[in-house]
Amino acid sequence: MTTQSRTVDVPQTWESFAWKWMRYSGVIIFILAWIHVLIQDILVGVYKIDIGYVAGRWNGGFWRVYDFLLLFFAFSHGMNGVRQVLYDYIHSAGGRRALNWILLILWAIVVVIGTIAIFAFTPPAA
Amino acid sequence: MSFKTASEGYVKYQGLGNWAFVLHRLTGLGVILFLAIHVVDTAFVYFAPDLYKEAIALYRSPLFGLGEILLVLSIIYHGLNGLRVIYFDMVNPNMWTIEINRKSVIWTWIITLVLWLPAAVVMGSHILEHLGG
Repeated sequence: MTTQSRTVDVPQTWESFAWKWMRYSGVIIFILAWIHVLIQDILVGVYKIDIGYVAGRWNGGFWRVYDFLLLFFAFSHGMNGVRQVLYDYIHSAGGRRALNWILLILWAIVVVIGTIAIFAFTPPAA
Repeated sequence: MSFKTASEGYVKYQGLGNWAFVLHRLTGLGVILFLAIHVVDTAFVYFAPDLYKEAIALYRSPLFGLGEILLVLSIIYHGLNGLRVIYFDMVNPNMWTIEINRKSVIWTWIITLVLWLPAAVVMGSHILEHLGG
């Protein structure tokens, strides 16, 4: 069975941007999150993770930047996902506007908290 | 009522592609809930090191260990199914047929389990090693 695809013009709106964002960020997160899970959850495991471990890991810049990118892409992808799910249940313009503001504020708070911790953390004196 | 309409819609169409969609949503919501908590608990290393120790102690309990195994299942499935959707949408939209969709969903579930089972064994053995302190 063959299908002919056709090209349609989609207006450039926030929604079409969000649609593309989920796909492009998805590829990036696929790489970043899987490596993160493989190392932290499977190879190292929570029983070996403590502040000393974090200090060693955030000793240089590489893993700090890595963790920041993972935080930014994954949390932004996820919050837009939550927005898409809730749009299926909230149909009024006012409800959606309120939802967008709530999610935007939550997004900003978590991203800011995480980013400060990643870059401001200094290992406790041994 | 909007909630009812949407949920009835999910339940009435029960093709495999729909189950892939429902699972994508559920795993995505689960992962974002954990991620929000995880960002804050990791931020404790800077803002409140004592609370970080408590959070880690909680994550080391067997119940959270099982949760972590389910979290990894969610991440593997959500990632693989996401790549599948991205490939169909962005690279080859001709693959959005019922038959190809059906087969690719089954393959997604097979690969998910193949990747998850060894991970679950490793994580499960970590939990067993640390049972009772």
